[in-house]
Amino acid sequence: MNSKIEIREVTKRYHAGHVVEALKTIDLDIKEGEFVCLVGPSGCGKSTLLRMLAGLNLPSEGAINIHAKGGRSVPTSTVFQNYNVFPWKTIEANVRFGLRLAGIPRAEAAERSSKWLAKMGLAEFAKAYPPALSGGMLQRVAIARALAVDPEVLLLDEPFAALDPQTRRLMQEELLSLWQENRRTVVLVTHSLQEAILLGDRVVVMSARPGRIIADLKVPFERPRSPDIYHDPAFAALDQKIWGLLHDEVQRSFNGEKNQ
Amino acid sequence: MNQSDQLQFTTPARVVRFVPGPAERDPLGWSRKARLQERMLSITTPILFFVLWELTARMGWLDARFFPAPTRIAAAGMEMVQSGIFVSDLKASVTRVLLGFGLGTVFGLLVALGLGLSRLSRAAFDPFLSALYTVPKLALLPLLLLIFGLGELPTVLLVAMTVFFLVWITCMEAVLAVPVSYRETAISFGANAWEMFIHVTWPALLPQLFVAMRLAIGTAVLVIVGVEFVQADVGVGYRIWNSWSLFRADQMYVGICTVAILGYVLTTLVRYAGVLALPWLSKRGHGAGH
Repeated sequence: MNSKIEIREVTKRYHAGHVVEALKTIDLDIKEGEFVCLVGPSGCGKSTLLRMLAGLNLPSEGAINIHAKGGRSVPTSTVFQNYNVFPWKTIEANVRFGLRLAGIPRAEAAERSSKWLAKMGLAEFAKAYPPALSGGMLQRVAIARALAVDPEVLLLDEPFAALDPQTRRLMQEELLSLWQENRRTVVLVTHSLQEAILLGDRVVVMSARPGRIIADLKVPFERPRSPDIYHDPAFAALDQKIWGLLHDEVQRSFNGEKNQ
Repeated sequence: MNQSDQLQFTTPARVVRFVPGPAERDPLGWSRKARLQERMLSITTPILFFVLWELTARMGWLDARFFPAPTRIAAAGMEMVQSGIFVSDLKASVTRVLLGFGLGTVFGLLVALGLGLSRLSRAAFDPFLSALYTVPKLALLPLLLLIFGLGELPTVLLVAMTVFFLVWITCMEAVLAVPVSYRETAISFGANAWEMFIHVTWPALLPQLFVAMRLAIGTAVLVIVGVEFVQADVGVGYRIWNSWSLFRADQMYVGICTVAILGYVLTTLVRYAGVLALPWLSKRGHGAGH
């Protein structure tokens, strides 16, 4: 099967007085409908890679191809760590935002946004402004906004990192069932190995800066999955294995930050 | 929904491709080029303006009585420099502006702190001062002249009053906007009132103080010119007004250009002072993010 996303020898450097190499020769293929999780130490460039998929940064070398089928969906949409829900728009207007930009007619946009508000349990807050909502609810708004445009690829940049652990777990389960309902291509950047294993088809492990791919692991659990897999010995084994790969890298990134 | 809607919002299959752009292929060259571009443009615009002016004036398309050619204005400027009136005008105006600006900033800051830190004094004075703020300061000039007589004091006071309100409003809002979490952090470490001020309130309001000062110094120049129109016998504003009554348009333009450059220089000085005083806001504070 052909790849949905091809990342070919992508290198990213920043010039901030001195040259910082964020990513070094990344090669990655992601198939249609695949859920790929990127994990790695802080500053390893995994968010940079995601931002490049979103077109927010361009690679310094190499190329990224996203094969868009077209039709009535957009190629990509992104959920950010800090929600980035516009405080000056109501919840409903936030969810409608992407639809308006995609040129969806007003009536259909209203219908689709109210569908997503209902699905995410936000219907009664449609007319509220974001500051009235909790972090967990704001992240639901951000996810609704991203999914309302029916993206071919959903990009998630540490979407649950700012949430408390209980809310976070709930949101993970919600995302899991949302995805299993409609299996689109997803790239998720996360610090949480459990999250990566619970949600992903593959876990891509990256090294400390400059970020390289040091492992690309298949998650052995069948779909549809449930959080019950937490209790599976294979879960713990995979978690242990990834942590084994990451431990030295995290240490290295930690020391690197100290020396800067 | 009808068929045409369906077609209109359907996009064809395509490959979304991200490859290095010119900025990524040669980052250093690109940023050097961008800086050069900005600098060239900032110089080109005024030059172009004056060249066009010169040409149209020489062609006789502009009435030379009202729009003398820039070279004519420059000659008048040289004359004024040589006779010494340029320097004495500039010195008088700059002194008034700086005195008024300093006075207004200090009082504005003190009142901002007093009101920002005390709920009761805010309740007592905020509505009163807000009402005064809306009084056009120039309307008070006759009153000041009546009280203090002719001389420098009413002029300086008028500038100070203008500056005062800008600094007071901006800084009081800044004091009120200091995040509670920073206060609580300081309290948890046992900060007393003075320590709270030095470690939290003051640095937190400093950025807004510089914003206020940038606005205020420009407004101070504006006010001083207005005051000098009516009440001065030396100063750039006086010279502009006086040249009008003598029908010396060239001297008027020298005055106008001087005011523009003075405003720009003073604003730039305040801005650089701000960069030095606020190291935590500078972009070079720390290396790249991720």
